[in-house]
Amino acid sequence: MYRVDFFDAKIIEGTTTSIVLDNGAIKEVSENYTKGAGVRALSGGSWGYTSVDGDFDLSKAIGAASELAVGMDERSHQEKVEMFDISKPVARNMPKVSLDPRDVSLEEKVGLLKEIGARAKIEGISSTSAVYSESSYKVLYTDSTGIEGEYELIRTGFAISAVASREGMYQAGRESRFGVTGYEIFEKHDAFALAEAAANTALQLLDAKPAKGGNLPVILDPELAGVFAHEAVGHASEADLVLEGSSILENRLGQQIASPLINIIDDPTLHEYGFFPFDDEGTQSGKTVLIKDGVFNSYLHSRETAAKLGGEPGHCRAQGHAKPIVRMSNTYIDNGKSNFDEMLEEIKNGVYLIGSRGGQVNTGEGVFQFNAEKGYIIENGQLTTLIRDVSLSGKTLEILNNVRMVGNDLTLTSGRCGKGGQLVPVTDGSPHLMVSEALVGGA
Amino acid sequence: MMYELAGKGLKAALDAGADEAEILLIEDHKTSVDIRKGEIEGAKENISQGLGIRAIVNGAVGFASTNIMSHIEDAARSAVRSARVRDRDPDWISLPYASEYPKVSGTMDPNIEQMELDACILQAVKMIEGAGAVSGIIVTSGSFSRSFGKHLIMNTNGIEVEEKSTGISGFADVITTEGDVSTAYDFAISRKNDLDFTAIGRNAAELARRSQQGISIEPHKTDVIMHPFAFADLLGSAFIPSIDADNVQKERSNLKGKIGEQIATEKLSITDDGLLEGGIETGRSDDEGVPSQRTKVVENGIFRSYLYDTYTAGKDNVKSTGNASRGSYFSTPSVGPRNFIIDHPALDVIADTDKGIYVNTVIGAHTANSISGDFSVEARNAFTIKDGQIDRPVKSLMISGNIFEMLTKVNGAGTDIRKVGGIVTPSIRIPGMSVVG
Repeated sequence: MYRVDFFDAKIIEGTTTSIVLDNGAIKEVSENYTKGAGVRALSGGSWGYTSVDGDFDLSKAIGAASELAVGMDERSHQEKVEMFDISKPVARNMPKVSLDPRDVSLEEKVGLLKEIGARAKIEGISSTSAVYSESSYKVLYTDSTGIEGEYELIRTGFAISAVASREGMYQAGRESRFGVTGYEIFEKHDAFALAEAAANTALQLLDAKPAKGGNLPVILDPELAGVFAHEAVGHASEADLVLEGSSILENRLGQQIASPLINIIDDPTLHEYGFFPFDDEGTQSGKTVLIKDGVFNSYLHSRETAAKLGGEPGHCRAQGHAKPIVRMSNTYIDNGKSNFDEMLEEIKNGVYLIGSRGGQVNTGEGVFQFNAEKGYIIENGQLTTLIRDVSLSGKTLEILNNVRMVGNDLTLTSGRCGKGGQLVPVTDGSPHLMVSEALVGGA
Repeated sequence: MMYELAGKGLKAALDAGADEAEILLIEDHKTSVDIRKGEIEGAKENISQGLGIRAIVNGAVGFASTNIMSHIEDAARSAVRSARVRDRDPDWISLPYASEYPKVSGTMDPNIEQMELDACILQAVKMIEGAGAVSGIIVTSGSFSRSFGKHLIMNTNGIEVEEKSTGISGFADVITTEGDVSTAYDFAISRKNDLDFTAIGRNAAELARRSQQGISIEPHKTDVIMHPFAFADLLGSAFIPSIDADNVQKERSNLKGKIGEQIATEKLSITDDGLLEGGIETGRSDDEGVPSQRTKVVENGIFRSYLYDTYTAGKDNVKSTGNASRGSYFSTPSVGPRNFIIDHPALDVIADTDKGIYVNTVIGAHTANSISGDFSVEARNAFTIKDGQIDRPVKSLMISGNIFEMLTKVNGAGTDIRKVGGIVTPSIRIPGMSVVG
């Protein structure tokens, strides 16, 4: 019926509710109801893609995507694209939701968020904000090879930020928790304690000293080390970036690229924020070991890149009904044997970097830059001066090789990852890491 | 059709008990052609539509949105429900009222709307060819896109403003395939079909080539010249949040109480302009139907104005500056800049610099402290400047500083004005910046 080699469709339908609290007052309550489809068609080596909103006609959308694919193939003929054959996925291992957020009244959610905001408003805090969000989506996948699958997923979460100010100086503290859980997320995490923690961080930072830059031994806390694992290693492992020539990990399979202490894993089956039962091309999810004992073990694949490079698909995701691309899920550096005190003893002098205010990476050149939320100067094995506006930058492979100790305190942090203009839920994490040398930047 | 639908939604909101209501309806059509590893990968058509409704009950605002047009009445009732769980906001005055709209030009080009798939592919091919003209370079990823659409804002205070618009853009990320690995990118965006796509590919390719074999430098303080890409990135993350009236009212701005004070060198002026001919952020009204205007933000170094939407303006008892902005139909308005124009006397700024560093782009600008203005970013495609000329490429360079301090120190600007999204700026020179190689 359609003159193409392959087509598929992802159909989503669901609602999102969010509440935003600003300085104790509700700033926004909003509900969104969305329905849409993203349709891909492949003709030879050319992809056509169409997205449609609202009440759509699926066969019309497939026809439109097919027309684009055929048109592209005729005008600019490319090497034929093969798709990795998969078997029908099963929506198994789904997270259990004990309290469906849709069964909790809007009034109750508003009341709880106000209380969370109030806990962050301690003495010295000039402003606070807090956000609650929940979503429940039904996802349906179908393709021209007869694969189909369906699941429904509920996500909830909250974020708190507090700003402290003194004599024209402002500092912020933030905490957030998001997961594939229901309203019971507030039983799992003590939102009141986290609100106070955010406020205390902001207050502490007022007294922090600006950092001095230089090449130094460092200890990374689990959050910052997790950001490194995700941004610097995870993205460079994405096979689409490898194929376009934008990854330093191209041609590195089987090679020692890191200290033998390093194991990095991406696992969408964990019941964390990056969970999915099958990806947005219908591939059953599974755990992928990226680095095993320092040896680069696997890329992350879509059906297209797995067919081309060899490997297993299962990491192709889309935001809503956008076109799916190779993505991470729950990415972490696995536990080692050291504890934090041993690291302090071993490092003697250096910098302890804590938390993350985000960062960026150039996967092609293998360089990165991350800003820590705060840090401490380490002198004679003791944490001494608190520092702020401190960043970590350098070469990915150098840092991986400079890791001297891996902690035994793996912690995961939830967030959203942006790539190709699309945001998807992920977690990343690590235990504490001790690195013999890294470029620390200061203000 | 759009008017009829919006009218139905407003009526449903009023019937459900709203005192005021507003509807934003959007229809958008976008075609893009993607490049991957030097080849055309595919084409995309995104046909999107949606509507957002604000309903006000007793001075409390509720919001709902959907992309199913036939659900407009449900969405209206949901917005009213959201409003009812909120307390009355003592700062809420009202939605804006109907008024006259200025004329704008250069925002709608029929050539973009009528562009066929063949022409779209051709523009993407031009970027690949432009990069290919430089040896040892490949476009790792890139994209051409064109869009056309319309939106309608209607509220129960008589506002009814419809706008049609077009846009076209291209970007190319390139990497060297011979010798030292080096990357670069270039992009351009316009409301009219006037972009040189070959130049986008060529500029990125030449920059990547010139960046090979970078040297290391010792930490020091020096003159730094920032390309419009780098300067716009830092302004957007570290400065613009501080002139947002919402941040000022909530004690999240370094510029609170600084109106009338000297905050920048007297040669520097900044205008927020919703009316700029062909500007990326140009339109007859802002995103809640307030007429667009020009606002002097900084005049000869003196800080003149914050940016306001209707709500924040009501709080300060001033008029909205036409800066209500929403990312999409599913977002409520918040304060955002329009075309943000940086003005400084121009000269051949590189030739005028004996010794320093030229920075093309930065990564990590979004990690800047948006309140204090402190930043520490990685400079990309940076070069040393010696005796008024670009000298050697620099590998891995961190620059750090404070945006407010920078503005007081700016002592030069180039003639190379670029539209970086809504930010319109030349290259800017700042003396005495801290660089770590």
